[in-house]
Amino acid sequence: MVTATIMARPQRWDAPFGPEMTDTDVERLLTLPEIAAIERGKFPNHTPLVGVIKNDSRLVRFEAGDIVVREGDYGNSAFLVVTGKLRVVLAPKLPRELIGRQSSRRKGLLEALSQIWTNRVIPEVRDTQRYTDQKLRGSATDLARSQVFLQDVPAVLVDHKTAELGPGTLFGELAALGRVPRTATIFAEEGAELLEIRWQGLRELRKYDAGWRRKIDERYRQNALKVALRESPLFQGLNETELQEVANATLFETYGSFDWHVSYKRMREQGKAEQEPVIAREGEYPDGVLMIRAGFARVAAKMGNGQRTLTYLGAGDTFGIDELWAGRDGTDVSLQTSLIALGYVDVLRVPAPILEKFVFPKMKAPPAPLIERAGRPLTEDAPMEWAVEQRFINGTKSMLIDLNLCVRCDDCVRACASTHGGNPRFIRHGPTFDHWMVANACMHCADPVCMIGCPTGAIHRSISRGAVVINDTTCIGCGTCANSCPYNNIRLVEIRDVGGRPIRDPDSQKPILKATKCDLCETNPGGPACVRACPHDALRRVDFRSGDIFRSLG
Amino acid sequence: MRAEQAISIRYFTLLGIFVAAIIAFTLHAIEMPNHLQRPEFLTGYVMFGLMLLVALLNVRKKLSMVPIGRAAYWLAGHAFFGVMLIGLYFVHTQTIWPEGGYERAFAMMVYLVTASGLAGYALQRISPRRLAAADLEIIYERIPAELAEVRRKVQAIVLESTKESGADTLGRHYLESLSWYFRRPRFFVPHLFGLQAGQHWIRFQVQTIERYLSAAERAQLTKIEGLALYKDKIDLHYALQSVMKYWLLIHVPLAAALLALMFWHIIAVNVYAR
Repeated sequence: MVTATIMARPQRWDAPFGPEMTDTDVERLLTLPEIAAIERGKFPNHTPLVGVIKNDSRLVRFEAGDIVVREGDYGNSAFLVVTGKLRVVLAPKLPRELIGRQSSRRKGLLEALSQIWTNRVIPEVRDTQRYTDQKLRGSATDLARSQVFLQDVPAVLVDHKTAELGPGTLFGELAALGRVPRTATIFAEEGAELLEIRWQGLRELRKYDAGWRRKIDERYRQNALKVALRESPLFQGLNETELQEVANATLFETYGSFDWHVSYKRMREQGKAEQEPVIAREGEYPDGVLMIRAGFARVAAKMGNGQRTLTYLGAGDTFGIDELWAGRDGTDVSLQTSLIALGYVDVLRVPAPILEKFVFPKMKAPPAPLIERAGRPLTEDAPMEWAVEQRFINGTKSMLIDLNLCVRCDDCVRACASTHGGNPRFIRHGPTFDHWMVANACMHCADPVCMIGCPTGAIHRSISRGAVVINDTTCIGCGTCANSCPYNNIRLVEIRDVGGRPIRDPDSQKPILKATKCDLCETNPGGPACVRACPHDALRRVDFRSGDIFRSLG
Repeated sequence: MRAEQAISIRYFTLLGIFVAAIIAFTLHAIEMPNHLQRPEFLTGYVMFGLMLLVALLNVRKKLSMVPIGRAAYWLAGHAFFGVMLIGLYFVHTQTIWPEGGYERAFAMMVYLVTASGLAGYALQRISPRRLAAADLEIIYERIPAELAEVRRKVQAIVLESTKESGADTLGRHYLESLSWYFRRPRFFVPHLFGLQAGQHWIRFQVQTIERYLSAAERAQLTKIEGLALYKDKIDLHYALQSVMKYWLLIHVPLAAALLALMFWHIIAVNVYAR
């Protein structure tokens, strides 16, 4: 007889955000005015407020000078100040080196050339001297305490205009819910205690409490909505008053899981895709135009027993306008296609009456409806369907190799190694389709999940080219980014000193690790060496969103 | 722009430049005897310059860290000027097969370097398509490990089959025939020429043993056949990637020898020309 292993069905709060949160902490937090004002009765039995506080939030303490959030970072949590004082830096911005960023100075020709003789036989050699003067608390073994801090807070207060954030202030919620970079740097002016609420809890609070919803939505309307609307071609003919009317009527929605990379990784390992949330279903009547604010969604039409991807939409793209335009004379036109979330999607819904009042009178007829793409032969769209399924559409600089041209000479790998201290930053291997391969090289994603949770902000976007780069000096080798990367494109390497000897942590005796990845040859002249080194033009760095890449490359 | 279109445009541009240069060069060379000058010196030194230029491709490969042009342009120039050097050689020597041992050695090197270069170029244009069509991508250095893994799986199936059926039929056949196939890459030459000898051999082995097996053993044989066909693809990669890598071991030493002969030729010509 076959015996089954018995285990309890996994529950949402099996892995609390802060396992060290005690009932006493929760009781104390419930007395805070911002939380005491929440109507507990509005929360359903399966998601009580106490549960949200206990499992979706944690108490974090910061010392004077500690940086709480950095401008440009991605984060999946918001903060509520419990005690203490924080400062938000308004202007001028803090120097990048001060907040743990890398100063990416491009090498000169001679300096680049000198790598021929300065590259060592043993790779990953570091001058350990430069690690000694970094302003870093904690270590890889003490992640909760690892953070970049400002040594001279009074000097920062003198040189920069800042604003105080006291107890009761909520911040970081827009970046957490909207999956957009933090817009300012905030540091502790004195010892402070903060309640950090992860995005799941924040979503529940917004969903069930009118006060929090109003607060978050108002903040969003004030700070970001009008900018987002103004950037869309749909609303460009509108004046300030009309735009305000549109903004007032716009609804915010989120679909999919913030941690989409976890289920995506599972899909890649098991070859089984999870059900993707449908944002708008083919055959239903549209009640407004949908505008993607962050993330990706695919436009699909029914095809046999499945859904055929016609195209995919990213930030700023709209859906449903074809049908609303066709039905502007009052006829009911149902949606010809479905919109399906790919991972996490943040959507703005502009109601149809608002469009009819303000937008349609000034709008030209939209280009060919998306459904017309369904007339194309299936084989034409097959590579794009594959790229969508594999989520390569997230990449802005994916390494695409044409296997019909690649002679497997590894000149690209050698070029990468010679510009990165002897060790390549990618593997010339990866998923293939037809004669295309997307190699295991950092894709410099539009939605860089690797940047979420880096305790020191070492992984960040460079200012010069927008590439996702790692500051080797402040990287503590914790592996958070490598574990988060859905495409396994970040690697931890054991570093060595200038004598080639392994470097160990004196306490644990474990080797010191550093995260490494493709940096698009940020500091080298001439752009990515891999592209320049390919003798057969087989290797390209492509943005899957810039037109039909496969068709243009043949 | 498609990569292949880009390559064609590159070659046509180079051809245009070269044809214009040849016309100017020929007109000048025709005029040279009228001014009591020897055109062989001009053609010789142009050849010398072009040979050095062509040889610089190898230097370019070592200098990936500096922006000195894309390797694709360098390769296009290398291949194009390499072929054009043959024409220049005929203009320079006014013969296909010169007199004298040294001159013949030189001519032989010119022909061998050009032939090996053309063969390599053809290989590099054809082989990637054949590999892409194999529906398997494998890094060359990982092939031994992958073959070892396939062998381990096959041996495990054979052992399991023997244990389950109590018969050593499959095990005996493995030791007699199949182990030879799984030991290392096979059918190197047939794979180079696109022949299906590997697949034919697998079919033959399956047909040979199939009739002596029970239904359960046949199921195990089907698994082994699947792994054998998978290995056949690895063998194809091994054959084609080996040739794509190692043809340079012929081309580069020959080119080095040609350069050495050329330097000696220049010294000799300048010493004895007076």
